[in-house]
Amino acid sequence: MNLLEVKGLTKRYPGFTLDNVSFTIEPGYIMGFIGRNGAGKTTTMKSMLNLIKKDGGEVLFDGIDYIANEKRCKQQIGFVNGEFNCYSRSKLKTLVNVTKRFYDEWDDELYSHFMKRFSLDENKKVSELSAGMRVKFALVLALSHNAKLLILDEPTSGLDPISRDDLLDVFRSIISDGERSILFSTHIISDLEKCADMITYIKNGRIFASTDIESFKSGYLLVSGDEEALNDLLPRLIGVKKHAFGFTGLIRAEDEEFAAGCRTAPADLESIMIYIEQEDADEKSAL
Amino acid sequence: MKNLLYKEYRLCMQPMVFIFFGFVLMLLIPNYLYTIPCFFIGNAIFNSFQYAVSDNDSLFTAMLPVAKRDVVKSKLIFIVSIQLIMLLLYIPMIALNNAIMTEGNKAGIDACPALLGSCFVLFGIFNVTFLPSFYKTGYKTGKSFLISTIAVFIWIFLSEGFFVAAVAARNAVPFFEWIETHIDCVPKEASAWAAQLIYLAAGALIYVLLTVITDKKASKAFDLVNV
Repeated sequence: MNLLEVKGLTKRYPGFTLDNVSFTIEPGYIMGFIGRNGAGKTTTMKSMLNLIKKDGGEVLFDGIDYIANEKRCKQQIGFVNGEFNCYSRSKLKTLVNVTKRFYDEWDDELYSHFMKRFSLDENKKVSELSAGMRVKFALVLALSHNAKLLILDEPTSGLDPISRDDLLDVFRSIISDGERSILFSTHIISDLEKCADMITYIKNGRIFASTDIESFKSGYLLVSGDEEALNDLLPRLIGVKKHAFGFTGLIRAEDEEFAAGCRTAPADLESIMIYIEQEDADEKSAL
Repeated sequence: MKNLLYKEYRLCMQPMVFIFFGFVLMLLIPNYLYTIPCFFIGNAIFNSFQYAVSDNDSLFTAMLPVAKRDVVKSKLIFIVSIQLIMLLLYIPMIALNNAIMTEGNKAGIDACPALLGSCFVLFGIFNVTFLPSFYKTGYKTGKSFLISTIAVFIWIFLSEGFFVAAVAARNAVPFFEWIETHIDCVPKEASAWAAQLIYLAAGALIYVLLTVITDKKASKAFDLVNV
């Protein structure tokens, strides 16, 4: 059974529509949620959690309707909305003392473990924490109640490379029992390539792809060549960048035969995203 | 419910609230509008909401394992608890007022059990005007407080004015004479106690009704707010 099933999620704003967003997460997986700024990642996450009133669609958590069972579902979900930005004058231990009362499965040992692992001092006030430490504290709150699903909006932004790497190890260990899953959005694509199994790519409020990373990456190829080859290949290129020695671009793997005179290489996630968004901006026609 | 109230007192209670509780001492001022200290409790609530907005309180609460409507309920039970504490503080002050001042209050209702009925209505009006307006946005405290202040002062002037009129016209109008001997007085006889307790109960009932309406209207408004 899917741990999370999002079906036809829709939210309309003047000038932006989150349009019929659907994807699923099975237990035991890490799913990266990617897209440009303003593509709808945070709106999707908040609509899923009823922090934003959705205009349509359905969210099933562990097979049950989220809205009808909001309290029950939230007991098993950990949500991090970037850095912790509430009650700046309060001490961390005060906030924890309040938060833990709401969770049936709060684990003090787990809490102490993560506080120590992230080098957080519970006697400090929120205002005394750096941006990175605030993200870590938000993560501690989300990780300490044995959540089955972690929904993390930009959890690695603001963290130093060592902390990010450590956090990705934490993510892997959380899902290792095969019962928990993580959905996290990030702009640091290298983090996804290190630990995510699946990606959901949202573009202009619509799901562009939701699949495992390797299948997604194998669907594209990076291609480079001289200017003469560019003219032949242009109709097949998803995105292209010209430079002094010719061009570099992205094609679908199925179009490899049209790139016979060019160099091709496996595409990485970041390049795919950049070229696909470039296509959207219609920069290709400007060339 | 218990956890939400604990959260409010640990994270949202501002020291200013205690200062505003001190305004109950105004019941020792001769010839004064004794419902006014309750208006100052509205000030205390407004003050705590300003801090709550800057502390992203709604987001924190909404992220806890509670329903979205519980974000409103959390604030409402906090407000109700403060209002009930204020009315409890009124009781010894009413007794002290009666012990010190032998003449009635010329500016409005006397310090007596019926005063608590008027205060209940005032709090109900504050709740039903402040909270649904605030939760239309979840951050506009000033506009909501202005609306509630106007509504509360209309009640203060109408209710207190009624008792001032009753004092002035008691000899000419039998109904006002009854008011002055049963509601706007320190009750000594059983009939005055009965009349004042009914007035108090009616005030409490209006408070409960208005607070239930507040909960429904504010929850409905907040349901549409993007946290």
